Amino acid sequence: MSDLTPAMNSHLTLGNVFTNDWWHKLWFRADGATDLAQSTDETGMWLWWFCTLWFVFLMALMFYFVVKYRRKKGQIAARSPSHNTPLEIAWTVIPTLFLVWIFFKGFWTYMDKVMAPGDAITLDLTASKWNWDLIYQNGSRSNSTTTIGARTIPVFYMPANQAIQLRLQSADVMHAFFVPAFRTKQDIFPNRFTTTWFMANLPSGSKTHPKTVAEFETLKASAAAKGGTYSGAEYIKGLEGAPYEDHWLFCAEYCGEEHSEMAAIIRVVPNDEKNGFHFNRWLQSIGTDSLTPLEYGKRLYTSQGCSQCHSVDGKTSTGPTWKNLYGYPVTFTDGTSMSAEERTNVETFSNYTREAILVPGAKIVAGFQNQMTPYAGRLKDRELNSLITYIMSLSDKAPQGLPAGDGAAAQPANGAQPAPASPVPAPVPAK
Amino acid sequence: MAHDAHHHGSYLTPKGGFWTTVADWATTVDHKKIGMMYLVAILFMFFIGGMAAMAVRLELFEPVRTHVDPTTGAAHVTGQLFGSKADADAGNIKPGNNLYNRLFTLHGAIMVFMVIVPSIPASLGNFFLPLMLGAKDVAFPRLNLLSWYIYVIGSIFAVTSIILGGVDTGWTFYTPYSTTTDPGFNRVAIMTLAAFILGFSSILTGLNFVVTVHKLRAPGMGWFDMPLFIWAVYAAAIIQVLATPVIGITLLLLTFERIFRVGIFDPALGGDPVLFQHFFWFYSHPVVYVMILPGMGVISDVLAVQSHKKIFGYRAIAFASLGIAGVSFIVWGHHMFASMSELASMVFSALTFLVAIPTAVKVFNWIATLYKGSIVLNAPMVYTLIFLFLFSIGGLTGLPLGTLSTDLHLHDTYFVVAHFHYVMMGGTIMALMAGIHHWWPKMTGRMYDEKGAIAGALLVFIGFNLTFFTQFFLGSRGMPRRYASYVDEFQIWHQISTIGSFVILLGFLVHLFVFLASLATGKKAPANPWGGLTLEWVADSPPDEHNFHHEPIVTHGPYDFETVVPPHWDPKDYPIPAENKVAVSHH
Repeated sequence: MSDLTPAMNSHLTLGNVFTNDWWHKLWFRADGATDLAQSTDETGMWLWWFCTLWFVFLMALMFYFVVKYRRKKGQIAARSPSHNTPLEIAWTVIPTLFLVWIFFKGFWTYMDKVMAPGDAITLDLTASKWNWDLIYQNGSRSNSTTTIGARTIPVFYMPANQAIQLRLQSADVMHAFFVPAFRTKQDIFPNRFTTTWFMANLPSGSKTHPKTVAEFETLKASAAAKGGTYSGAEYIKGLEGAPYEDHWLFCAEYCGEEHSEMAAIIRVVPNDEKNGFHFNRWLQSIGTDSLTPLEYGKRLYTSQGCSQCHSVDGKTSTGPTWKNLYGYPVTFTDGTSMSAEERTNVETFSNYTREAILVPGAKIVAGFQNQMTPYAGRLKDRELNSLITYIMSLSDKAPQGLPAGDGAAAQPANGAQPAPASPVPAPVPAK
Repeated sequence: MAHDAHHHGSYLTPKGGFWTTVADWATTVDHKKIGMMYLVAILFMFFIGGMAAMAVRLELFEPVRTHVDPTTGAAHVTGQLFGSKADADAGNIKPGNNLYNRLFTLHGAIMVFMVIVPSIPASLGNFFLPLMLGAKDVAFPRLNLLSWYIYVIGSIFAVTSIILGGVDTGWTFYTPYSTTTDPGFNRVAIMTLAAFILGFSSILTGLNFVVTVHKLRAPGMGWFDMPLFIWAVYAAAIIQVLATPVIGITLLLLTFERIFRVGIFDPALGGDPVLFQHFFWFYSHPVVYVMILPGMGVISDVLAVQSHKKIFGYRAIAFASLGIAGVSFIVWGHHMFASMSELASMVFSALTFLVAIPTAVKVFNWIATLYKGSIVLNAPMVYTLIFLFLFSIGGLTGLPLGTLSTDLHLHDTYFVVAHFHYVMMGGTIMALMAGIHHWWPKMTGRMYDEKGAIAGALLVFIGFNLTFFTQFFLGSRGMPRRYASYVDEFQIWHQISTIGSFVILLGFLVHLFVFLASLATGKKAPANPWGGLTLEWVADSPPDEHNFHHEPIVTHGPYDFETVVPPHWDPKDYPIPAENKVAVSHH
């Protein structure tokens, strides 16, 4: 599996090449997950046949003429017309009429794609280098992630058959929201909001959530036995056995060194009376009020994108590792430094860390360049406090009251943590 | 012969020893030498840009995979061609991605600014525009030499930027990424300066051509007696003169913003990144037609000459060139459907379809020209057919991109990458190859090996379709562009594409060998090997230093093959049927 493993797959098989279905699978995977995706595909396939017929017609004519009128020795071309007004008017007007028709075909679906219906729920999605951050209507963030290779990417739960409008903004450079299965795309800017919307279908025959923790563990173990990683849904309280459909969210506007890794998964789950309000139950469950600062900080580490540049196991990445920051000395690029004593003082350390998160350019650790997006104005006090607490916990000199080590005890309250008797060992920090 | 008194010898005849000859070329104002120097410089940059493309294709042969040891948690990266072993062992993909980003930027910037924009106008245009008009040189020969030096200086700036570490902005320099990526900003500034300088080379060449076409046509040559190559180069020159200053101003503003912290494009300073896109595409869309129009001109001429057939709908093709040049200025917004207002998107989509009309008309005319022709399948003609094949695909795949609903899906995916390679490489570069072969005997005075050249052309054709047709599928199936890695299901397409790129490379190596063999041991070329009627075939092969022994006088149309015996040909070898002579009329 690549770092971006397909959570969804379509298999192309040989079939009747004269059917629209076969070409639809070849061109568009036939995986459109919204009604508008399907009408986009209809236009796309109409254009495919239109272009193919024109192309075959023109090339057949060209090859026929080339073969038929090959030069014969000692013979020159007979006179033939080099101008024919009715023919020339015809081959100007007929394509023009086709083009007008194609324009309108595209325009109608486009208007539906960019105008959200009045009953759409609006959610905020912020793009930054190189992460997606979604805030739900109750102010909470998704705590679901999936691991792909060494990378953790967010999973955004979305209710099926419900219009969702996303208000998009960027924290730094330009990005673009692109979900291939929705056949839509919207650029994201740092200085203005843009919006996009979708209403996803949930076809029958979808995958389902594990019904129990044990089932989830079995799935993971069997994937590991095959040398892979389980990339499906984790066990989630309230979503036992609920069907789901995964769709890639890609960044489609070039944004730097991890542009190609800036992915997320949109996971569509049912939201209807009959199936028991799965999405809403999940939404209630991810409220963050009951989390301890340590638990919340650990969740923010992935949901805020810190994990893209900061490791927690001592490895150097774009930014310094968070392992052993508290209590250890540090030198900055301007020649100043902080001693181990200063870094053991909770007040000094906390104020330094606060500044480092909100205004990353203020002091830069020697050996690094400042590439971080300032978080001033983006984090609430509780979020900032929780992050600082989590960072402190990652030091083996962590003060009493915080667990030592990598904070392994601070798993999210619900979700992916192994059961206590799990046969899968907890991650061991590298030296 | 009588005109020997005026004979100064071929333009290629050395003026003396080695250094004298070098000095002669370096200070020449002869449009033919300048055209040849452009050709060499452009082919050299094509080689560099091509090598970057090969590196990009190799990296994409395999997606980046990070393997995590479940017991130790240690990560190991595979599939990164450019990552060092130390980074791979540390599970760090960033340095490898970084290099990839620099390579695709390098490929794009070189191919656009240093190869495709100047390719046909600066090389074949410089060489043949005065010859086809029956002129001794372009209107401003010294300006012409200056524009070559400006091109070289611009290219040196670009290469300097690469040597200093390269630029990772993409050739489009979108803000605010381009104003924040390189903290010292030196490399991005040098690269934008390079594009700025190259723009002046383009403007001066365009200006020179416009004046030359207006003022230096041979006696008897009216506007509608000009070869269609001239019409196309003329239309492109108008765009060059009018559009290129805009990119110059835009890139200057970008640099000003960076140095003086004036908020123009960067939101952090109060600027607007969408403004940059408008400015950028206001130049970069018209310039697409600077790239393709001269190629269309080459095709019109090669097609007519190699099939000894009067071009069908001469005036329609000439006016289509001007029509494309005009419409090219009002369609830039179709690069921005995902970032503009709905109303603007709608207007630009409608306008974009206008370009399809004159383009379709040209294709119909070319195919109609073949009807009842006397077609010879040599390398220039094979490349012309390849052009028609690939350019038709490139043009038709523009339809789903101009269509709003499908473009929202295909925008910024490999579908776009495939589309513009079919137009730029399948169009312009194939036309350049057709033109180089067609005029090779005239430029060098030697024939090339026909079988070798056709073999090279077929390899390039096969490799091209393997490389780029697969990318249509990648794009419509959802693969975004400018990705250093990708999801597993795309791998098979990427692998076919990479294999195809090696076939293209092989094809071009065959061409290189054929050209070198021709220069070393090629048969001496006659003055008019193909039986062309335009004035360059009146001149010697290679042409005399002053082009013509006598000022030519035009007495027939450029494509009157059915009624006129080509210059230097024996009427016995060109038996004009009696029925053709019945209604002799010039144009």
